[in-house]
Parts: sequence; C-alpha cells; structure tokens
Amino acid sequence: MKLTAYHRAKSLADARRLLKELGPTAMPLAGASSHSFVKNDDEKIGVDIADIGFEGVECKNGHFVVGANTRIADLQAFHAPGWVLDRVALRFVSQPLRNMTTIGGNISRVFPWNDFPVALLALNATMTISGEAKTSHLASVFFDGQPSRLFQPGDLLTEISVPEIGEGSGFGYHKESLVNMDFSHLTIAAWIRREGRTIRDARVAVGAGVPLPCRLSALEAELVGKKMRRGGHRRRRGSASGRCFLERGSRIQQ
Amino acid sequence: MNIQFTLNGKLRTAEVEANTKLADLLRELGCASVKIGCNEGACGSCAVNVDGRLINSCLTYAGQVNGRTVETVEAIGSLDHPHPIQDALVEEGAIQCGYCMPGVILAAKALFDKNPSPTEEELAVALDGQLCRCTGYQKIESALRKLASEARS
Repeated sequence: MKLTAYHRAKSLADARRLLKELGPTAMPLAGASSHSFVKNDDEKIGVDIADIGFEGVECKNGHFVVGANTRIADLQAFHAPGWVLDRVALRFVSQPLRNMTTIGGNISRVFPWNDFPVALLALNATMTISGEAKTSHLASVFFDGQPSRLFQPGDLLTEISVPEIGEGSGFGYHKESLVNMDFSHLTIAAWIRREGRTIRDARVAVGAGVPLPCRLSALEAELVGKKMRRGGHRRRRGSASGRCFLERGSRIQQ
Repeated sequence: MNIQFTLNGKLRTAEVEANTKLADLLRELGCASVKIGCNEGACGSCAVNVDGRLINSCLTYAGQVNGRTVETVEAIGSLDHPHPIQDALVEEGAIQCGYCMPGVILAAKALFDKNPSPTEEELAVALDGQLCRCTGYQKIESALRKLASEARS
C-alpha cells in the first residue's frame, strides 16, 4: 500500500467529512501499525484519526466503555474489578506496538492473527459505529464477516462496550504462538457463568487458525449444565478439540 | 507536505512525502542511531520515543509526528556524561555489536521515566519489543535490574 496524501482530522465530524469527500481511496489511520502487512501497490489517502478523541476506558452501568482510539498499552495499564482486556493486551505483540496500535484499528479490519476480535466475541461486546446516526452491533454480528461491510462511507468505529466480568463469571484467553511477537497459530477465549458448580452459560471463540474469528456454539451448548471440576478442562480439552474440524468458509464444526 | 516537530529538544521542519516513514526521515536528519533492521516492526532497532511513548519508527508515517515530540538516543547522555541507563549497560558489559542498543536504551528510558524502580516482570514487558541479534539479553536485563534495585534502595 502506498500513501499518496495525508490528512489529520481535528474531530469526528472533520474525519467523517474527509473520508466522505476523498472517497474510496481514503483510509483512516489510527496507529497505522498494520500497514506494513498489506503488500500491494494500492494507492491510499491517509486520514489520521489520532486527534479526534475516543480514548480511554470508563465504567458505566456494569460495562466498560472503551474509546476506539484507545491504545493497547492503555488497555494493558487499566485495572478495575471485572476488567479482563489487560490480560489480552499483555499478549499483544510488543511494547512499541502496544503503544502504537488502537483497539479500533485491531478490530475494524480483521487479520486472522488479531487478538481482540476473539476476546470480544467471548465477552459479548458491542461495537458502536458513528455515521449519520450511531449504530451498535453485537460482536457476533460485527465479526460475522469483515466489519467493513457494516460501514458506510465516512463511518468510523468509536466505542466498544465490554460487559464487566461479574460474580460467578470467569474469562480466559490463550494465544498459541512461538513468542508474543510471532503470528498466532491459534487464539481462544472463553467466558463462563456458573451457579454453584454448574455452568449456566458459556461463550467460546477461536481465531488465527480460521480466516475470521468465530464462536464454537456446539461446544458452548455442550458446556452448559456440566458440573465444574478442578482439572476438568484438561480432561475435556482432548475430546472437544479432537472433534473440531475446519470447513471452508471460516466456520468450525464440532 | 511540510511538517514541524520537536526532535531532541529542537524544533525541526521537514518536507516529506505522505509515504515517508519516520525512520527514514530521522536518518536523513542525522539521527544515525535509528537503525532500520526488519522494517516491519519486529526487531525494535528503529524504536524512538514519541511524546514519551516508545514506538517503531519504521511503521510510523512522518506525517504522524507533525506537532509532536520525538526523542532519539542522540539526546540521551553524552560521552562525558552518560545517562545512568547507559552507565549501567557499560558497567555490566551488556553491549556487544551495539545495533540494538539505541532501542534498548529508549525502551528502558520510557519505562524508568514513569517508574524508576520497575519489577523484573515490568522490565521484561517493557523490553519485549527489542531484539538483540547477539542474544545478550541476560546482561542487558542484569544491568537494568541493578539500576532498578539501586532506585529502590
């Protein structure tokens, strides 16, 4: 990709105006850290959105509202009860790239190895796109294809709402790669809610080994109603993963 | 396009193409400490501090630093008065070929400026983007651990 012109937007309205006026060759630049992976000769006009706001994390009514321009390093540094994205951030590439990359950039254009789409699917997050009006999309819809299909010219992702991990719930994220900096071979995130020792609700998502991240609905259904036992996940791991196979079209069947 | 930014304490202006990367611009401006190694954000030899945050200048467009403050290792210490991080690395014998050192020093400085006595884990996380092709990690870590320990005492 070759940048032929560069503009820095001063506000959301300014960014939306520039993106609309410049047309399909215009491209928002958040951290711009993924540009080196796009090995083609496409000419693009960069619209830098670093100064338009939408940074930081706020707690609101049982949710964390994350500005799309929040750097991964700031997700890593943020700590609050029920907040788990710091664990995902810590596995993200390297400190310089955590300082550059924004969560909005990481999820607006999904490469197979991206860390956050998988976590946000398991957490049932909601993404807000600001256009003529604001539209919100659950992660299961947002990532059911490249998110670009949901954007009209000039639209930008502005917020991600992540439910707090409440009492009786838990979250885990695993990334399989040689080192953090390497491309992932597999990423998996799981969220469960239990009552006593019984699993009442579960969401499991995988990425990297598939073209687009996706939920494992059959595995989720299998987990619900099961009793939790110490070490039980290790016993189940073989049988569940053994029955997963990839189908063309990015879906995983159990 | 014309950009203006503060480089190592001095206001600089430069005429750049939209596609110019910051690493190339800094080297043109005489900052030879900025090395272009992998040119895809993996090795950290091009790392510089922008507004106090360590970034990979090989992935950053020059236009992105318009109006911002950039620091390279040229601004840190001198032969007569090395920065304590540089002193610690020399004392420990942590420098081999030296190619990674500008990035290592800037990564350490970005951390120590915010947290003068980081834990071993914080040091490891802050330096996880800096590859040393001589594989001299133990002495680099040892030097910085000593510096952190001195700050605690």
